Amino acid sequence: MKLSDDVNFQSWSEQLYKIMMNADRQGASDLISLSMTKGLSSEQIIVKLLDPALVKLGILWEKESVSLAQTFVAAKIAEDILLRCVPEVSMAHNNPVVIGNIEDDFHSLGRRIVATFLRASGWNVYDIGNDVPAEDFVDKALEVGAVVIGASAMMQTTALNIRKLREVIDSRGLRGRIKLAVGGAVFNWRPDLVAEVGGDGTANNAIGANALFLKLQAEAKGALIQ
Amino acid sequence: MNSYDRVMNTLKGLPVDRVPVFSVLGAYGGKLTNTDLRTLYSDAAAYVAGQQAVQETFGMDLVLATFDYSAVAEAFGGTVAWDDKQAPNMKYPAVTTATAALALSLPDPQRSARLPVILNATRQLAKIYHAQVPVFAAVPGPGALPTMIMGLEAWMDTVLFDKPAAMQILQWSGQFFVAWANALFEAGVTALVITESVASAEISTRTLFAEQFLPHVREIFAQMRGPLVFHHGGGRLNHVLDLLPGLPNLAGVVVSSKDDLGDARSLIGPDLLLVGNLDNLSLSQATAKEIRARSLACLRAAAPHGHYVLSHSAADVPLSTPPENLHAMIAASRDYAALGKDAT
Repeated sequence: MKLSDDVNFQSWSEQLYKIMMNADRQGASDLISLSMTKGLSSEQIIVKLLDPALVKLGILWEKESVSLAQTFVAAKIAEDILLRCVPEVSMAHNNPVVIGNIEDDFHSLGRRIVATFLRASGWNVYDIGNDVPAEDFVDKALEVGAVVIGASAMMQTTALNIRKLREVIDSRGLRGRIKLAVGGAVFNWRPDLVAEVGGDGTANNAIGANALFLKLQAEAKGALIQ
Repeated sequence: MNSYDRVMNTLKGLPVDRVPVFSVLGAYGGKLTNTDLRTLYSDAAAYVAGQQAVQETFGMDLVLATFDYSAVAEAFGGTVAWDDKQAPNMKYPAVTTATAALALSLPDPQRSARLPVILNATRQLAKIYHAQVPVFAAVPGPGALPTMIMGLEAWMDTVLFDKPAAMQILQWSGQFFVAWANALFEAGVTALVITESVASAEISTRTLFAEQFLPHVREIFAQMRGPLVFHHGGGRLNHVLDLLPGLPNLAGVVVSSKDDLGDARSLIGPDLLLVGNLDNLSLSQATAKEIRARSLACLRAAAPHGHYVLSHSAADVPLSTPPENLHAMIAASRDYAALGKDAT
């Protein structure tokens, strides 16, 4: 019997979740060290401890019961865990994805948190930063072979700049083959903006980004096959 | 009854002819005077002309001193993102670490970047509208000010993972806050709106706000030379509202459109001014009829208690907002005063 057979994953994940909610980065590090000494593999730590804790955090976010501070700490903890574990993990897909803040938008924090969670979920994230012209998103996606672009904006005025990205995708004949995920605070306040700017989908929080990007990737690959 | 008396009486809980109505129409002044926003926010005379046009067009119960936080970021050494559709924003902060922030010189409100322009415009507005319309200015709260210096990400990182450095930053930047806020009072503002985004549920937990920010806020508020209105800064505030009564110089609070006005009143007690809480984003999308209905709903919820100002709850209204939607807010207040709960 392996040492890890003794581990109650649900209980350990619950501990990790509580540590995240208490913004205890060191506590998380200690817990991961302990889990390693118990014989948990890197993949078990990510899949059975980290992922359920993040899902639980995401549910709280849906209920608007978790703050940016808690998400920020959770992202840091996730990043810490990934840095320790990822080299040993064979990622599920490692598919490329391009994310950035649309032209005139400089609110990077949400995007960075999304990047962390996407990396945690196995994506090869190309984060092209703030104030990115529409053409640059598409150029980068074509360069790295990404079929999903994530464009972030915090305010309504800058969110409307995403329309240009929609136009560029369409004008290059890439509609359906490159999917456009949109996100940022304003989309939570005004969900109708997603359609208004030509987005193919959104997630209410960073934790939900993986599911959205997987869905859009599947749609884009379906379009390619057709 | 003029706007000044209406607002002052509301603050004191005295009778008024109708509930005062506020709207943040800084950039909108540029739209009315056909002035590009870069000029509007860089030239005191242009800004004053914009506010005069706003006042003549809508007759809101406040005049707004230049609401431009990018000027604060710029004074610390940050860069500004200019836009022809909205008030300027900080493009890049001056620095991205706490250590680098502490090596900066504090700006001088009378000399640094566009801060003197703001003071000049404020002085002119205070003179023009003396005892006629109250002049309000907005400043980033003591807890949120470091985001204008080092950006939100670096500030959150410092607050969450390096508390001694966060305390140092707060003490250091607090000196500027006091100097800037009191310079605005000296320029003639009636009250300051303190937008404290770190208090909102979207940014902080109640515990984080109570333990790391509130003591500093209390210390800074005690040094203010006039009344203060605490603003949510972009998120829900009700989760910490009960912690605010008793803060030095606190006259009122602005809650978000996602906060319940009735709950807010219960949480702040009977005497503080309550301001809110129409949704900014809907102002440009909704019809005047819808804005009227929403305004009346706010009035029914909060006006009977008194100490209430009808307002939308965030920063500048979108420039695409039809004028009739703004007129509808004042008409709702007027009709509510005449008809009470029967106003429809």
